[in-house]
Amino acid sequence: MASSSPAIKDLQRDLEAQANILSKIQKDISKNHQVRKQYTIQLGENELVLKELDLLKEDANVYKLIGPVLVKQDLAEARANVRKRIEYISAELKRLEGTLQDMEDKQNSKKESVLKLQQKIETLQSGKSNS
Amino acid sequence: MAAKGAALSAAREMERMSLEQLKAFKEQSDLEVNLLQDSLNNIRTAATRLELASAALQDLSLRPRGKQMLVPLTASLYVPGTLDDADKVLIDVGTGYFIEKTMDEGKDYCNRKINLLKSNFDEVVEVTSKKKSIADEAGLILQAKLRQASTS
Repeated sequence: MASSSPAIKDLQRDLEAQANILSKIQKDISKNHQVRKQYTIQLGENELVLKELDLLKEDANVYKLIGPVLVKQDLAEARANVRKRIEYISAELKRLEGTLQDMEDKQNSKKESVLKLQQKIETLQSGKSNS
Repeated sequence: MAAKGAALSAAREMERMSLEQLKAFKEQSDLEVNLLQDSLNNIRTAATRLELASAALQDLSLRPRGKQMLVPLTASLYVPGTLDDADKVLIDVGTGYFIEKTMDEGKDYCNRKINLLKSNFDEVVEVTSKKKSIADEAGLILQAKLRQASTS
């Protein structure tokens, strides 16, 4: 039978391997989206908090919820903490965007190689059935 | 005028797409519309909660100091107590931070947040209606194409 030719079998195995890699890349991409969504939400929340903190007079009381305990915080310290968190989250978002770009490039090139393999297999199979 | 132009060019794009592509595009658009409507619901819920908070504040500000009240310790356990200074309120601003403010500042905070949510709501409503009209267009064109395909 035409489909049992070893060359075609090799190509099909290769195709499977490439397709697996492609689906892993796609899973990674969607995970990246998830994490970026989380970070974006946190960034928004922290920016809101910073705005509120900046509106306060210097003698206002600020408390932080640590577990079940409300602990009095220094206003300047609270502002600095929130700012640091905002910086950290922004840096993480940037890093993730770079990773996403990489993964999308990899995904596109894998898609191409999968397509090429499929075409090769098709031509070989149709070639066999014609001869 | 610009919106109409954009809708027309989108329609032309859809005419060019194949049946499969159009089906996929319509499903995608429907998904987006659903997501946006979920967001709308979330915003409405949040705004309602803020309005409840604002009403509670308003009520609290009318109560005199030293008034007898029942303090909830759990959902079904209340203990008698007296109202202390009702001029200071603690506001949860997010990420675990609480800010002590006066009653007036507290009311102002609630109003500010409610206004912010209202403007967000209006923005999302706009985007949702645009997306919905595109999705409906896609549906119409899809049906027309299906009819064409079945008669030919």
